[in-house]
Amino acid sequence: MVKYESIFISDPAATDDEVAALVKGFEESILAGSGKVLRVERWGKRRLAYRVGRHEDGNYTLLHIECPPGAARELERRYRMNDRIIKYLTVRLDRDLPEVPPVGAEPAAEQPARAAETE
Amino acid sequence: MDPRDRDRSKKKQFRKKFLFRKKKFCKFCEEKIPYIDYKDARLLQGFTPERGKIFPRRISGTCAKHQRELMQAIKRARNIALLPFTAD
Repeated sequence: MVKYESIFISDPAATDDEVAALVKGFEESILAGSGKVLRVERWGKRRLAYRVGRHEDGNYTLLHIECPPGAARELERRYRMNDRIIKYLTVRLDRDLPEVPPVGAEPAAEQPARAAETE
Repeated sequence: MDPRDRDRSKKKQFRKKFLFRKKKFCKFCEEKIPYIDYKDARLLQGFTPERGKIFPRRISGTCAKHQRELMQAIKRARNIALLPFTAD
């Protein structure tokens, strides 16, 4: 079992219910992979630091999970297949994190930079 | 002007410039920040001046260990669109 921190950015046009459904789907996939979900944080809509595709804003959701690597891979596969998700990042947690307060909804003030493509 | 005089005044300038400079210190060591979180965009922003580049160690004074962690954090933050790759 490995601990991961996974963030995905979903389409800001998606409603709260839709995002909840997404999260539920991912939780189920992790459970199915004999892992567990430790924490779900909804950051809500934030301005992106640069344009991703045609999006200027994104709806951030953070998952803390503990699962075998295979389940994490499966989770990322699901991210990719879902067209509601515009970007994601999964990071392995090598040590226990201090309890960090959820990142506030403070907007990243500066102007969104030009579309920068990654990956 | 005697070339030696000029030399001396240069030396004086040099001392003025460098002798009384504020001592640099590593912010993370000082504040005992145990983990540089890539999600803390506000903290990281302090190390990415206007253009969005990573502030070099020789200027910011960050120690080697924390600069490595900082670099990692900034790159992650960029990936998830919390920080810009470039800004103009």
